[in-house]
Amino acid sequence: MNHENFEELLLLYVAGQLSETERAEIEAHLLLCADCRADLQLWQATSEEIGRANRALSAPPNLVERAIHEIHAPNRLAAAFLRTWQLLRAQAFLVQREMWPAAALVMFIGVGVALIAERASVLYFLAPLMAASTLAMLYGPENDPGLELSLATPISPWKILLARLSLVSGYNLLLCLAASLSMLFIVPPGLLGALILGWLGPLAFLSALALLLSIWLGTSQAITITYSLWLLQYIPFKAMGLWFNSPGLDWTMLAYQQFWHSPLLLLPLSLLLVGLALWSANQSAFRLPGALG
Amino acid sequence: MTSYALPKKKTWPVSMASFETHLELLQRISAGDEFALRELYEAYGRRLYAYALRLTGEPALAEDVVQETLITVWRAGGKYRGDGRVLAWLLSIVHNLALKTLRRQSILMTDEVEASLPAPDDSPEIQTQRSEQTRWLQQGLQSLSPEHRAVLELVFYQGLSLEETAQVCNCPLGTVKSRLSYARQHLRGTLIRQNMEEWR
Repeated sequence: MNHENFEELLLLYVAGQLSETERAEIEAHLLLCADCRADLQLWQATSEEIGRANRALSAPPNLVERAIHEIHAPNRLAAAFLRTWQLLRAQAFLVQREMWPAAALVMFIGVGVALIAERASVLYFLAPLMAASTLAMLYGPENDPGLELSLATPISPWKILLARLSLVSGYNLLLCLAASLSMLFIVPPGLLGALILGWLGPLAFLSALALLLSIWLGTSQAITITYSLWLLQYIPFKAMGLWFNSPGLDWTMLAYQQFWHSPLLLLPLSLLLVGLALWSANQSAFRLPGALG
Repeated sequence: MTSYALPKKKTWPVSMASFETHLELLQRISAGDEFALRELYEAYGRRLYAYALRLTGEPALAEDVVQETLITVWRAGGKYRGDGRVLAWLLSIVHNLALKTLRRQSILMTDEVEASLPAPDDSPEIQTQRSEQTRWLQQGLQSLSPEHRAVLELVFYQGLSLEETAQVCNCPLGTVKSRLSYARQHLRGTLIRQNMEEWR
């Protein structure tokens, strides 16, 4: 056996894990090797130090009880789902109740007009306006009958806002999808996807903008601004004689109309605005006086 | 050689009879017997806590690791195949959970950072009582990484063979040997740096 083998065995020698023969062999080597004697001393001191530190320890008394308590605690994921469901259910009763039938009525009338006029573009015009007004009335002291109740809960304002946003946006989407399906009476099924994609981008962007502005400025200002931005694309400036013959302004108007027809730009922008709105809901500097939190 | 306290062959803390008992304990735990979990903790709790503390260095973290270990045993007790000692299996769970906790807490410190830490805050009376050599050895142990401390703890205190140590650390046998070799050099270096002539 060479020196390297003994180096390895020394550790096991100190740990008391060698057979009688191995021990005798290593003891014979130790008589001749000063390096191994130094190592032996080091390992013995190390072993004693580890043993000394551990002897002072005792098993913490309540760990089994804590573990059993944790074992019987409801599954975290299930508990999170339950909490989310409870929050959504509570917030469904706290948002402006008139909003639900009003939105449905607007879309119902819109569908009627579109079918009679045989113009599916009515849906494109109406869906973002309906969604923006519902989102603008989602939050803030003037729209929140459950303000005191919400203030009394430990839930952060942004979570409350997200819950309401999910509920109302989900409802709006369902309404608009149902309205789009009704358009099958006047448009071929192959165009249904294009129709949905047409209103989806503007609806998402205008809703997110309305939500953010309602937190920053209030509901009425939010509605005024979002409606103005949306209607601006329909105003015939030229016909009204307000438009000077300028190719630059002409191009700007075209680009503006194109913006509302670019879902790939509008959808990410909407996410950005929603993120900003949720953040703003948590910042007291941005909240209106008397708003949540 | 007579100056050395020659070690005798260690008897395993868990005999064959108790191995069967503890195997049965695991079966009872997997069947949902809470009392069996308490018995298992009585048998191994101190060792598991000592190992968790050696790796984490924080009593609160070590307690969390042992608690998580008990939960894992409760949920996976039936998966123990009986191909090694129950202790080695339990220690391997502690090892994985402790390293995961350390990673999560981002307190895996480098040797340099740890070495720059002050000595443990024992009372002055205790520090004076303890010999210089022991104090520097303790600091040398603390300045090792958790992986290096683990192999020393497993071999010297937990009484595991090198193969079992490799199983617990989930690494090849060669890695265990190289970690031990590094630990030896590191501890020796620490003591030499403190001008302890006997280690030269």
